[in-house]
Amino acid sequence: MFFLLFKKNNKEKTVRVIFFYILYCILNEALGYYLQGEHLKKPFIFFLALFTVFEFSFFCLFFYYAISIAVIKKVVLFTWLGFIIFSFIDFFYINKMGALDSVSIGIESILIIIMCIYFLFIQIRGSNNLFVYSTSNFWIVISFLIYLSGTFFLYIMADKMFYNETYRVQYNIINSAFNIIKNILLSVAMLMKPALVNNHNKRY
Amino acid sequence: MFFLQASPGMMGSSNVLIFGTLGMFIMAITLVSVVVFHQRRVIKFNKQLQRMEEEKQQMLLKASINSQEEERQRIAADLHDDAGPLLATARLYLSENLIHQEPAVQLQSIFSAKQIIDDSIQLIRNISHSLMPPTLKNFGLESAIKDLFEKINGSGVINATARFHDNRERLSEEQELLIFRVLQELVTNIIKHSGAEFIHLTQNVQENLSYFRIHHDGKGILQDDFERLNYDSIGLGLKNIESRIKVLNGKIYFDIDSTETYYKVTIEIPRAQRKN
Repeated sequence: MFFLLFKKNNKEKTVRVIFFYILYCILNEALGYYLQGEHLKKPFIFFLALFTVFEFSFFCLFFYYAISIAVIKKVVLFTWLGFIIFSFIDFFYINKMGALDSVSIGIESILIIIMCIYFLFIQIRGSNNLFVYSTSNFWIVISFLIYLSGTFFLYIMADKMFYNETYRVQYNIINSAFNIIKNILLSVAMLMKPALVNNHNKRY
Repeated sequence: MFFLQASPGMMGSSNVLIFGTLGMFIMAITLVSVVVFHQRRVIKFNKQLQRMEEEKQQMLLKASINSQEEERQRIAADLHDDAGPLLATARLYLSENLIHQEPAVQLQSIFSAKQIIDDSIQLIRNISHSLMPPTLKNFGLESAIKDLFEKINGSGVINATARFHDNRERLSEEQELLIFRVLQELVTNIIKHSGAEFIHLTQNVQENLSYFRIHHDGKGILQDDFERLNYDSIGLGLKNIESRIKVLNGKIYFDIDSTETYYKVTIEIPRAQRKN
């Protein structure tokens, strides 16, 4: 909503990607809520696995636009492709649609955290006089970094313990807390005006 | 409360989950904080550097303007104090009363007026030469420098020599004049402040760069002194050197040789070919 209100001001590709990611998150939440209510275990697990793939794809697309180094763009592309193939194999052949795709989520989290750290590293090495927190990309990156760092252990333990009641409660609390943090940070990113000097990475 | 309700079997996993989540969260926050604070420090430092650079530019500009003003004042003084009275005297000799004078007196007056006008011409020529040495314009930098050094040697106090190793192609007119002014200022400074007994200038070319190196045996300055004096309110000459070197896109280094006997000033200038 914020994005729609400030749509005219913010025309950055990266922000648009994240906007569609948020829309997808809302859709996924609603669908997940419905499937859980209907006790449809397999479709629910399938949608969670699909979410992992889409989340990673959205982040890769964001990162692809945020970084201007051709080599890194290629690396992102191949990583994305590799992850899609791995998720597919993991879900259908290793996991056999029986439980939550913890391995995929763990790998996804690690890959995204690495990309976030790389992005922050570039900000440190950048030579312009623009404050890092005055760009929407920075807020997007830290929202993913904090969200995925916070839920990392939660998700990698999920396949074994998802049907444990106590764990479910902990899952809901931690997941909701980090989701809220993520959404707040993404809202800040949406509200940011496009940077006047957006040439952080041009020299690389 | 929910975290405390975990069953004994769950306690280990629960702890891993809670401490793992907390650890990861703290790590992420620390990372972001480090990046933000580091970047703030870098920006602050960059801004400080930028401010210092701006101040330096201001001082150079001021020095350049002051130098122009001084030059104008000197020319104005030369014209007013020397050429003015000379021409006024000549005018007196050639007044209307001259026709009522004896022919011998007329002749004498005309001769005196001619002498004064000749002196005025010489004076104006001298002023013109001080603005743009004719040797430099007609014969190039090497001749102009050798001419300058001959005049210095004439005093008998300092022995000044120059050797140009590669001067087959002349530099652009603008470059030659700026380099000449820089070398002239450096030599003047050496004579005025260093107490040197000899000055030796060498020139050579490497790739597309011209190098001019002055050696002298007096008390010179080093790079740090040059930088410091450039930020000082005094030292107009050095600021002029710096601004001229900047116009030439060149570099200037002040150092001392390994035996600490001779001070060296090296100028590095990218060559610009003369337009025909």
